[in-house]
Amino acid sequence: MSESEQSITVDEAYEQDNDKSIKFLRPRFHAEAFPTVQIFGYVGSLVLTFAAYFLVMNHVLPVLALLIIILTLAALQAALQLGVFMHVQEGRGMAWQIIPLYLVFLIAFGMVGMSIWIMLFKSGVS
Amino acid sequence: MSLPSVDEHAQKLPLEFADEHESLKITGFWMFLVTDVLIFASLFSTYAVFHNSVAAGPTADQLFKMGPVLLETLLLLTSSFTIGLGIYAMRKGQVRALMAWTFLTILLGAGFVTTEIHDFVSFAALHATWHTSAFLSAFDILVGTHGAHVTFGIFWAVTLLFQLKKHGITERTARKIYTFSLYWHFLDIVWVFIFTFVYLNGKLG
Amino acid sequence: MPSFVPYLVHTLFPPTVRLPDILLIDFGLICAGIGVIVLLTKTRRWGWLWNDWLTTVDHKKIAILYLIAALVMLMRGGIDALMLRAQLALPTTHFMPASQYDEVFTTHGTIMVFFMGMPFIFALFNAVVPLMIGARDVAFPRLNAMSYWLFAFGAILFNISFVIGGSPNAGWTAYPPYTGLAFNPGPGENYYFLALIIAGMGTTMTGINFLVTTLKMRAPGMSLMKMPMFVWSTMVTSALILFAFPPLTVALAMSLFDRLFGSHFFTLARGGMPMMYVNLFWLFGHPEVYILIIPLFGVFSEVVATFSKKMLFGYPVMVASIVAIMFLAYGTWVHHFFTMGAGPAVNAFFGLSTMLIAIPTGVKIFNWIFTMWGGRIQTTTAMLYQMAFIPVFMVGGATGILLAVVPADYQLHNSYFLVAHFHNVLIGGTLFGLLSGLYYWWPKMFGMKLNETQGKWAFWLFLIGFWVTFLPQYLLGLKGMTRRMYTYPLGFGWHDLNVISTFGAFIMGAAFVVLVYNIVWSLLYGERDLTGDPWDGRTLEWSLPSPVPEYNFPRIPVVHDRDAWWAMKQKGQSLADLRPEDVHDVEMPKNSPIPFLLGASFFVLGFGMTFAWWPIAIIGFVGIILCLLFSGFDYNDHHHLKADAIRQTEATLGRLQG
Repeated sequence: MSESEQSITVDEAYEQDNDKSIKFLRPRFHAEAFPTVQIFGYVGSLVLTFAAYFLVMNHVLPVLALLIIILTLAALQAALQLGVFMHVQEGRGMAWQIIPLYLVFLIAFGMVGMSIWIMLFKSGVS
Repeated sequence: MSLPSVDEHAQKLPLEFADEHESLKITGFWMFLVTDVLIFASLFSTYAVFHNSVAAGPTADQLFKMGPVLLETLLLLTSSFTIGLGIYAMRKGQVRALMAWTFLTILLGAGFVTTEIHDFVSFAALHATWHTSAFLSAFDILVGTHGAHVTFGIFWAVTLLFQLKKHGITERTARKIYTFSLYWHFLDIVWVFIFTFVYLNGKLG
Repeated sequence: MPSFVPYLVHTLFPPTVRLPDILLIDFGLICAGIGVIVLLTKTRRWGWLWNDWLTTVDHKKIAILYLIAALVMLMRGGIDALMLRAQLALPTTHFMPASQYDEVFTTHGTIMVFFMGMPFIFALFNAVVPLMIGARDVAFPRLNAMSYWLFAFGAILFNISFVIGGSPNAGWTAYPPYTGLAFNPGPGENYYFLALIIAGMGTTMTGINFLVTTLKMRAPGMSLMKMPMFVWSTMVTSALILFAFPPLTVALAMSLFDRLFGSHFFTLARGGMPMMYVNLFWLFGHPEVYILIIPLFGVFSEVVATFSKKMLFGYPVMVASIVAIMFLAYGTWVHHFFTMGAGPAVNAFFGLSTMLIAIPTGVKIFNWIFTMWGGRIQTTTAMLYQMAFIPVFMVGGATGILLAVVPADYQLHNSYFLVAHFHNVLIGGTLFGLLSGLYYWWPKMFGMKLNETQGKWAFWLFLIGFWVTFLPQYLLGLKGMTRRMYTYPLGFGWHDLNVISTFGAFIMGAAFVVLVYNIVWSLLYGERDLTGDPWDGRTLEWSLPSPVPEYNFPRIPVVHDRDAWWAMKQKGQSLADLRPEDVHDVEMPKNSPIPFLLGASFFVLGFGMTFAWWPIAIIGFVGIILCLLFSGFDYNDHHHLKADAIRQTEATLGRLQG
C-alpha cells in the first residue's frame, strides 16, 4: 500500500497473470493527450437518445418496429457507455469483468423476454 | 504524470490499479454491478408484465409528460460525461480539476433527483401512486430504485470529495473515485433503458 | 399499568407463541443464555470473544463461525422435521394444531435451505479455498466478515420469530396470496422477508468475494485448468450466487412492500398478479438448487481422488460439465410451476431444458466411478459419504427426470413424490457432501481428527434412516398424499407408510446425536494431527500445518501441476524446507468491529420493520449509515506482520531450516 513502491507496467501485470492465454481478456488502456473519446461518447449518447425520442414522438413506423429500433439504440448506448466511459477492458492482469458482463446482459434480456413469454399465458391452450 | 501514447502496453498502470489489493476492489465492484444489473432486470421484468395492469388508474400514455423526462435524461447524460472527464483529469494527476468535475457531477445528479421528485409529486397530486394499480407499483419501484441509487451516489461522492481534500490522489482515493465513476455510468445505462422501455414505450401506446 | 403494555404483550406474545412447548423452550433458552453469560464472566472470556471472534476478519475463524451456526441450525431444522413426522405418524391426535404445523414446515424448509445449507457451504469455502489456491486470505477480508454477520443476524431475526410475534407460515417459498396482508396478518411473514433479504445481501457479498478470490488470487502458475475441482466449484457457485440472488431480493422486497406500504404487485386487487412472484422466486430458486449442490460436487471430487489415491478421472470433462450445469440452471425455472398453465410451448421448452441437465450430471457420476476404478480405496468416513452419495443421488436425479415430464408433473406436483425427490437430492447430495467435507477438512480446521469409528456409526445411521424415511414417501406420493397436510383420514392406506417414514426420521435424529457426540468427544480426546497431512492429500491446503497459522503461507508456493501438493511430494519437495531468508513481512488485514455492528444495525432495522415500529427501524438505518461512513473514512485497515514473528512461528512448528 505504500506509495513509494514502484508501480508496474500494463504489460508486466499481464505477463504475471496465470491465464494470459485467454486473449480476449487482455487489458487495454486509453491514453490520449486530449479527451477525444469522452467527447465522442457524450455526443454519441445525446444523438442516440434524441434519435429514439424523435422516432417515437413522430410515430414514423409501426409500433413493434419502433420498439425494436429504440431498444437497439438503447443497447448501442449501453455499449458506448461501457466502452468509452467505463473502460471495460482495463484491468491489472486479465480483465475478468468482461465475461460476467457478457453473461449478465444475456441473462438480463433473457429474464425480461422469458418473463413476458411465460406470464402472457398465451402459448396455446392452457 | 504524463502518459506516453506510443506503446500503450509499456505504460505504467494507472494509480488506481497500481496497488494489488486496491485493484482487486475494482474487479469486485464490477461483480457488484453485475448483481445490480439483475436487480434492475427483475424490476424491468415486473414492469413489462404489469405495464398494462392499470386497474382503474391512468395509463402510461395518459400519465407521462416527456418534458421533465427529457430534462432528466440530459442532466444524467451530462453528469456521466463530467465524471468521465474527472477520471481523465485524475489520470493526469490534476486533483483540483478532478474535484471540480466531481462537484459538477454531484450538482447535475442533484438536479436529476429534484426533477424526478417533482415529477413524482405531480403524479401523486393526480392520485397516481403505488396504491392505485399494479402498473404504478411496478413503475414506482423501478424508477424509484434508480432514483434511490442516484441519491446514494450523490452522498457517496460527497464523502469522496472530503477524502480527496484530505489525502489528494493516492492509490486508494483514485480507486475509490474510479469505482464511483463505474457506478455512475452504470446508473446512466439503466436510465437509458428506463427512458426507452418505460417512457418512450409508454408513448408508443 | 401504562396503556401500551397490553399492546406490547399482545403484539410480541400472541396466543400462537403461548403454547406449552414454546414456553418450555423459552425457559430453556433463557437458562442457557444466563449460563453462557455467567460462564464468560467467570472465566473472563468477554475480551477473548470480542477480540478473537466477533471482530475477526480471518477467513479460517469465519469458517468456524459459519460452521457453528450451520450445526445449530441443522439441529433446529432437524427438530422441526421430527415434529412434522411425529404429527404425521399420529394424524388423529393433535400433537400440533394446524397453525403450528404450518409454521413448523415453513421454518424447517427455510432454515434448512438458507440458514443450514448455505452457511455450511460457506464454512467449507472459507476454510479451504484460500489455502487451496495459495493465498493469504480472501480478496476482501472485511467484506467477508460483513457477509457473515449479515447472515448471522438474518438468521437470528428469523429464529426469534419462534418466540416473539409468531413464525412465518406460508411455506419456505412464501407464495402470495398466502403472504398477503389480507390473508396473513401479523409479523410472521415480515420476519421471513426481512431475514431473507438481510441474509441474502450477505450471501451476495460472499459470492462476489469468492469469485474475485478464485479469479485473481491464485498462486503463480495455477492457471484455470490447474485449479482443484473444489476451487472450480467455488467459482461456479459464486457466479451462480451473483446471478441468482438479485431476483429473490426483488421478489421479497415487493412482497414486503405489499404488506407494509400497500402497493399492488402480488395482491389480487388492482391488477396485481401473485404468479409473478412465483416467476421471480424460481428465477432465483432453481439456480439456488445448484448453489446447494455444485460445491458438494467439488467436495466429492476432492474426497474421491484423495481416498482412491488417484488423480481425478476426466478433469477437463468435469470442468465442462460443471460449467454446463451453471448455464442450464438459468433455463429451467418454470419446471417448478408447470401447473400454472403458461401453455404447452412454455412447458415443453422448460421440460426439455430440465432433462438436458441429466447429461452433464451423468457425466460427473461416471467420472467419480472411474476415479475409484482401480484405485486403492480407503473407506474413511468422508469416503463412505461419497460412496453412498452416488446411488442416492442417482435415484434423486432419476425421479427429477420423471418430474420434468410435464404430463407426469401435473399428477406428481406438490405430492409426497416431489417431497421425496428433493429430499433425495438435498440430503443425499447436499447433506452427505457437507458431512463428507466436514470429516475431510476437520483436521485442517481444528488440528485434530474426528473419531472414525463414531463417524462411521453416524454415517450408517444417516444412510439407513434416510432410505427408511424417504422410500415410503415416494409411495405415498403415488398414492396421492399431498405435501403440507397436517392430518389425513386413516382409511386412505397412508398411515402405515407414514409410520415407517417417521421411524426413519428418528433414526436420522439419532445419527445427528451421534454426530454431535463424535464432535464433542473428538474435541476433547481426538487424535492430534501433527503432520498437517493426515490423509496423504493432493492439494495445497495439506502442505500447511494444522491448524493453519494466521498468515497461511510463509512463502507463496509456485504451482506447476494440477494436484500441486501431490506432485511436490512425488518430487520429494516439501514446504517445510523454508529458509529464513525466504520469509518477508506480510501485509494482513486488521480486525474490525464494523462488520459486527453493521449486522447488528441491520438486525435493528429488520426488527423495527417487522412490527412497523418506525423509530426503531430509523435507529437501525442510522446505525447502517454510520458504519458505512466509518468504513469509508477508515484508511488504517492493514498491519504488517513482521518476518521475525513468522520465522518464530514456523520454527516452533519445526518448518524452518537452520
